[in-house]
Amino acid sequence: MLGTVPDRRAPAVPPRSRRLDHRRPGAAAVTPTSYWETIDPLLSQVRKPAQYVGGEHNQVASDWDAADTRWLLCYPDTYEVGQPNQGIQILYEILNERATALAERAYAPWVDMEALQREHGIPAFSLEHHRPLWAFDVFAVTLPHELGHTNLLNLLDLGSVPIRSAGRSVEDPIVLVGGHAAYNPEPLAPFIDAAVMGDGEEVTLEVDDAIRTWKRIHLGDGQSPGPDARGDLLKRLAAVEGVYVPAFYEPRYYDDGRLRQTVSVEPGVPSRVPKRTVQDLEQWAYPRKQIVPMTETVHERFSVEIFRGCTRGCRFCQAGMITRPVRERRPETIQKLVEDGVRDTGFNEVGLLSLSSADHSAIGSVARDLADTYEGTTTSLSLPSTRVDAFNVTLSNELARNGRRTGLTFAPEAGSERMRAVINKMVSEADLLRTAETSFSEGWRHIKLYFMVGLPTEQDEDVLAIADLGIKAYEIARKYGKANKVTLSVGGFVPKPHTPFQWVAQDPPEEIRRKLSLIRHAIKAHGGLKLRTNDPEEGVIEGLLARGDRRVAPAVERAWELGARFDGWHEMPTLETWMQALAETGVDLDWFSYRERDENEALPWDHLDSGLEKSWLWEDWQDSLTEKDLDDCRWSACYDCGVCPGLSIDHDTGYTGGFQLPVLPQGLGGGSEDLPTAPERYASGS
Amino acid sequence: MSQRYRIRWTKEGRTRYISARDLTSVWERALRRADLPIAYSEGFTPHAKVSFPDALPVSYGSTGEYAELTFAAPITPERDIARLSSSLPDGMDILTYLKVPDGAPKLARMLRATLWELIWPPVDATELTELLHRRSDELMASDAAEVIRHRPDGDRTIDVRPAMLAIAASTHPTAGGDARTVLRAVLRNDGPTVRPTDLHAALTRGDIAEPALNRRVAQGEHVPEGLREALSGTVDPLVLDVDAEAA
Ligand code: SF4
Repeated sequence: MLGTVPDRRAPAVPPRSRRLDHRRPGAAAVTPTSYWETIDPLLSQVRKPAQYVGGEHNQVASDWDAADTRWLLCYPDTYEVGQPNQGIQILYEILNERATALAERAYAPWVDMEALQREHGIPAFSLEHHRPLWAFDVFAVTLPHELGHTNLLNLLDLGSVPIRSAGRSVEDPIVLVGGHAAYNPEPLAPFIDAAVMGDGEEVTLEVDDAIRTWKRIHLGDGQSPGPDARGDLLKRLAAVEGVYVPAFYEPRYYDDGRLRQTVSVEPGVPSRVPKRTVQDLEQWAYPRKQIVPMTETVHERFSVEIFRGCTRGCRFCQAGMITRPVRERRPETIQKLVEDGVRDTGFNEVGLLSLSSADHSAIGSVARDLADTYEGTTTSLSLPSTRVDAFNVTLSNELARNGRRTGLTFAPEAGSERMRAVINKMVSEADLLRTAETSFSEGWRHIKLYFMVGLPTEQDEDVLAIADLGIKAYEIARKYGKANKVTLSVGGFVPKPHTPFQWVAQDPPEEIRRKLSLIRHAIKAHGGLKLRTNDPEEGVIEGLLARGDRRVAPAVERAWELGARFDGWHEMPTLETWMQALAETGVDLDWFSYRERDENEALPWDHLDSGLEKSWLWEDWQDSLTEKDLDDCRWSACYDCGVCPGLSIDHDTGYTGGFQLPVLPQGLGGGSEDLPTAPERYASGS
Repeated sequence: MSQRYRIRWTKEGRTRYISARDLTSVWERALRRADLPIAYSEGFTPHAKVSFPDALPVSYGSTGEYAELTFAAPITPERDIARLSSSLPDGMDILTYLKVPDGAPKLARMLRATLWELIWPPVDATELTELLHRRSDELMASDAAEVIRHRPDGDRTIDVRPAMLAIAASTHPTAGGDARTVLRAVLRNDGPTVRPTDLHAALTRGDIAEPALNRRVAQGEHVPEGLREALSGTVDPLVLDVDAEAA
């Protein structure tokens, strides 16, 4: 055929013995080729091609040879899901503000793009310059949940980096993970070089310092690094507080398979690695230059984190436990970040993020001031909060001044009073029904109620109480309008590390399915009461990877080899693949997921210190069995969970002098009709 | 006091991949960044009053996109349109603007024809241009030229001939010292839509590769030399001055 492009093969990936010159610091480096010319002609063949082009407003594209250290920041899911992530955004800004550092971004290519990349020899690439993953110094991956693990392996492989840490050399990047799932990185231990727990701002800069120093010593112009150079780098990283290098630790097991202890095997490394906590959020007023996508993402808004941490003490909630203590941003800082950010990005929605945004001690005035600022404009405000109380409705009324009162979301989490005492979600049925009454009487037309099944000690009557509560709320809804709706969103509980429920047995999917059908059956007669559920199978992989130890790692690798990617996407049912991988590698779900552990059993994350005392977590678990509730320690006495000693703060709240909130539990948010998929649920977290 | 402006803008480089669906929010955000008093529609989900006459297929380049913007308050066009242009992503630039007088005909009526450009990679240029020349003449001499358009929802047969006003292939030197074939065609905008892919289908008999890039050059009115651009009145020639481009 006339006019055929000769051969679109991408620039060859140099063998690992010839990559050093690309990674030298500053001007000594040879800039790796951009793959854009090869990618561009392929993009008309893939779904949503705009996710691969970069070039958005506020992108930072620095010259390769102007930086000493080069980071590739990655969210291991599609751009659509990962782009709004606050953690990546913040690290992108603070690294790029450093004269000596450069940070670009990468996301997981969807399967159609991956196939083309493999066919044409295009490695995993950055969006800014379409540079190959293998050329960066650090491949830094945030793991907000466990369902990105196979994508992480796939990106390494696609990026021409050896999957296993032991196979890497000075010619390869450091593979660093952070985010909530990094609080138990053991199932990924052989694949990562280091993990960081906790707030990323300070530790990222310290890691950057360590790498820059190391590069000057070992990788200056023309230098060839000695055989221990990579080992030296790992030791320097392990010396940074909060950095865990799995290669320097070894698990010891009892003959019956229980874990005895994970011990350090490298002199000088800490026996327990502490999490990092940024004590003053005011010093880290980001984002300032939020990237504005040119294609649809799951959250299209300018987002500001209004506080970090949560002390409500819901026993199932990993996020609430590991991000303690509470640190608030000042109202005036919030106001300024929002005004500057809206002007700079052009977004027409503002999200006030945190784990429970109605809990900010000055939220009333923050919401009022912002609502005043944007009254009569086309800028809308959103507050992801699911507290079950009237105040939350008032707050939503304020924020919805410019818009329509459509839907509110509340999270009672469990159906019966007893079950809510077990999980320490202190909200009574009367609270909930009163809140529903307030919502509908003030003109809201739809409420969504979030629940879980599969909670510890749960009986069928607790499950049926969910249906019962739904029916009662629906009766209230109908009083105020025939078209009003109530939706029950019910998910299966997955026990997570560093929580009082870390010892419990997870419900297998058949049991979750049975419980969901109890609810479905009970509400059948009520047409306008809807039930939305996640696929019960979804929790199987999440649960295994959440609490697994290093013996699970071969299964992760095997599942990836067998083709598992995008675990948790409805479009990609990977459970069967996983089951095959588990069978082949001898990983037993009954052992890892469906078994209750006892007090004396070592847990795979015991050597990783989230600040919470294991003894306190155990006590709280025992309290839960006697249905003993625990107050929020922001408002009541400290119960010594272990987090605060050693920090220069207690809970950092109440800047405006005194709490303006009714001190009552729980909340809401607008949003879409559909139950979010696991990747979406985690998308906006930091 | 609202004011309407019609603009011609480009969609090149990385922005070629922005879908028609996503374009609205890209424009709305750029307008907000430029702090221009764009008017909004009424209702609970107000939208900026920016309207596009039609959608360009994703991955096509263009220097011939148009839009009509309605402002709620008067703007200073020399300054404000330039500011808007620099607020848009790289690859999107505003080339021309025109204030719309009262009673002006609809924008779509000013865009009766499109000058399209099909650009091949720098291989086989002489032979390919020659072949396209012959096929184009045959096509213009025929009464009908049916092609099958493959779509996920089923195949459709369309006749490209009625839309064809003029067509010409030529060989162009590239910056790298090679030569490439460029085909320009003026197609009518009224009647059933005919795209460069349909034109390619009518020209090839399995012997001409797909072009490396399709580009919408400009829209306006067909004139003997090519196309008179709707907003500026300048004429884009059907046959490019090869020497001038190389210089
Ligand atoms: S209020 Fe929300 S974030 Fe806080 S502990 Fe409870 S579930 Fe977790």
